[in-house]
Amino acid sequence: MAASRVSSYSLESQRVSLARGSSALISPEGVREDGRSPHECRPAFLQTGAVNAAAGSAYAEFGQTKVIVSVFGPRESKKAQAYSDIGRLNCNVSFATFAGSVRGKAGQSTEEKEYSQMLYKGLEGAVALHTFPKTTVDVFALILQSGGGDLPVVLSCASLALADAGIVMYDLVSAISLSRLDTNLLLDATLGEEINQDGSLMLACMASRNEVTQLLLTGEWSQANLSEGLKLCLDACTKLAGLMRSTLKESTSNIED
Amino acid sequence: MVVGLSAAERRYLTDGIAQGLRNDGRGLYDFRAFSVELAIIPQANGSARVRLGATDVITSVKAELGRPQASRPSQGRVEINIECSSTAAPQFEGRGGEDLSLELSRALYRSLLCNNGTGPAIDLSALTVIEGKLCWNLFIDGLVLSSDGNLLDVLAIAVKAALSNTGIPKVEVTSAAAAEQEADFEISDNPDDFSGFDVSHVPVIITLTKVGRTYIVDATEEEESQMSSAISIAVNSAGHVCGITKRGGAGLDPSVLLDMISVAKEVSKSLLSTVDAEIMAAESRGDDQM
Amino acid sequence: MEDVSSRGLHFQLSDSQRNRLRKSRELLREAPGNYHPSAFVNIADPIHVENEATVLKGHGTQVLDGQLLATLSGVVERVDQLVTVKPLRCRYNAETGDVVVGRITEVGTKRWKVDINFRQDVHLMLSAVNLPGGIQRRRTVIDELNMRSLFEENDLISAEVQSVHSDGSVHLHTRSLKYGKLTNGQLVKVPPYLVKRLKQHFHNLKSCAVDMIIGCNGYIWICAAVDSLPSNPEIEKITGDSGAPEMDSCNESISLKVRENICRLANSIRVLSALGFLIYPDTIIDTFDASISKGVAIKDMLGAEFLVMIAEREASRRTKNNYML
Repeated sequence: MAASRVSSYSLESQRVSLARGSSALISPEGVREDGRSPHECRPAFLQTGAVNAAAGSAYAEFGQTKVIVSVFGPRESKKAQAYSDIGRLNCNVSFATFAGSVRGKAGQSTEEKEYSQMLYKGLEGAVALHTFPKTTVDVFALILQSGGGDLPVVLSCASLALADAGIVMYDLVSAISLSRLDTNLLLDATLGEEINQDGSLMLACMASRNEVTQLLLTGEWSQANLSEGLKLCLDACTKLAGLMRSTLKESTSNIED
Repeated sequence: MVVGLSAAERRYLTDGIAQGLRNDGRGLYDFRAFSVELAIIPQANGSARVRLGATDVITSVKAELGRPQASRPSQGRVEINIECSSTAAPQFEGRGGEDLSLELSRALYRSLLCNNGTGPAIDLSALTVIEGKLCWNLFIDGLVLSSDGNLLDVLAIAVKAALSNTGIPKVEVTSAAAAEQEADFEISDNPDDFSGFDVSHVPVIITLTKVGRTYIVDATEEEESQMSSAISIAVNSAGHVCGITKRGGAGLDPSVLLDMISVAKEVSKSLLSTVDAEIMAAESRGDDQM
Repeated sequence: MEDVSSRGLHFQLSDSQRNRLRKSRELLREAPGNYHPSAFVNIADPIHVENEATVLKGHGTQVLDGQLLATLSGVVERVDQLVTVKPLRCRYNAETGDVVVGRITEVGTKRWKVDINFRQDVHLMLSAVNLPGGIQRRRTVIDELNMRSLFEENDLISAEVQSVHSDGSVHLHTRSLKYGKLTNGQLVKVPPYLVKRLKQHFHNLKSCAVDMIIGCNGYIWICAAVDSLPSNPEIEKITGDSGAPEMDSCNESISLKVRENICRLANSIRVLSALGFLIYPDTIIDTFDASISKGVAIKDMLGAEFLVMIAEREASRRTKNNYML
């Protein structure tokens, strides 16, 4: 039972151990810390209907990152909101206190606020707001365990939850992140790789429509690296969208007609 | 989420309880069936998920090294923090759930440890590494994912399960230190070196909700909305009361109070054995998956 | 963990129970009457139509570059020229003539606002209810002030959908003796897509002395049968009180036998909803009878064993009969 656990009790030693040089993270043969090749994504587990009380919900596990998203609505907007012809989308991301290796503090941190805004921007382009006028759809994302690539997992999981709730959307949004270590591009980075990265690229797109809904880039990138990175991300997003589709299709097997 | 009940529904509910038959067919002292999962948060020292009816909670235990309190140099510290997530109910978004979270945290703390941090439930002296200098601090975090009443009892079960799943790594003191200096130590990474926790003294909490003139155990959200008052009683395996919290509502006659305590003791016997059985079953399931 | 956690109750199954459930599920999937798997579409999947121009694009569809795409994950429904996508777990979609059970959320000027598990709260106009006394007259100012004596906040009512407007607002009416305030029972909520629109939504189970109203919106009301309660004039039950509240039928206490029947029926519905089976009076009564004949205690009906048993019963029933009710 104990072997499946990662020891995580130390004070500073964890951070210290993670901040090793990039040479330790990828071997000369191109094998990453967790055994993957540089352009390989983590094994993903997706499930809808995880939360009973919500209109729609989804649970996603990408390696060590675990996220649960629940969608409420459409329901009446609070009276304080002004009348609007289109619906409102309210996004909120929070970390569980046990999510990180170092125990977090209660209360909304700036990281949570930033993620909430990013989630909204990533979903805005995909949700057909005009189909639920005067009402609000609430999207609550909870990060149970943070293992790297948190925001893209939250985006994909939220889009799956919205589909599960029956909210009209133009397409499913899938997202992936990429870390650059020197000239190595590592797809779907883990926490250790993210801490040591020289640059990062996060992409959210609507795969069938071939539209990018969110793009974040940090670090200095050469043109070659940039185009390769974009291509890798787009391919990964398409594969992830396929996985999300089959998850939705499987959930129908629970409904007998 | 219970919006509100009509006068007719309230009447039906209270009449049913007075007749001994609740809305879902249970008797007054029947607990709903629950399931326990262990070790769901691999990076915590111990964790558990308990589902009872539609109530769903996750607890995790994290152990971190730190200095013990000056007033208690040979004991470690325990902190309990409960959070109601917005997935449970939309009104828990932002600061909405704070009052409830605080109430639950304090009630749990009171039951497991006295107000001053000691208490028979957890052997705090087992958490010492170097007396006066180094000890383990346990942070117990609870997260309510979904609520259908009786959160306190479910959280208590989840805390007991998480503690049973907790492993504290062995610490080797590599160099003895003088009074002022910090000691050097090495933390063992070997999972086999982890010492487990004895949870036989951890109590369960039984919340008795008074509806009309009868009290019921394990109230659903609907039933809780009709309560006149409630009292949460923590009882351990020895049959001793470890903590009592009166929750809101009207006053209680002292004789009624004593009667409720004896009911709680009765119910706790079967609940404790069910909890222990579920934890063992969860452990064997975990071992099978290895 | 693969436990059955079907949007409501959580069941922990032993290994043997899990196998039995899986087998039943497989049998049900293959039984005739299921939707055709190829009718399932995901968001942004193309929908096959012969002529895109003549087809009426309903809810859940969209035209992009001359191609018809789905904007919802669900099953494609074609009725004449209308193509819609019915989502997997649809919210209740109100249609004129639906019988619904709703809860009053607000008492406003000349109308009530009712929650029927729809996108928004719907309206019940003062002019659309039967006034006490049954006389048709113009509503006066006194009537407006006395609205609370008819229905107040949190009351449960049965009503019919009068009209659905283009902006999405819905109006109800209770212009019939069978609609009105609900008393002496309990409410069970199920997902609305498990309730099919039938001819009759009011059911009286004489053998149990229980009445049942299966609302199209997923709210089901089970109560003691009106005639089983002593001295209970019909009018009073329907239009609220016509005078002193003591005359209200909700003050009559229900016998334990009837209460047990109500509980058993409620649990039967909960089990069916957990399994995702359609809720018909026939399936409900079948489950009810099964629980009695197998001697299952009411509280054990929400346990894993009964759940698996009902799944097996349904699987064997479906494979024997090849028709849908």
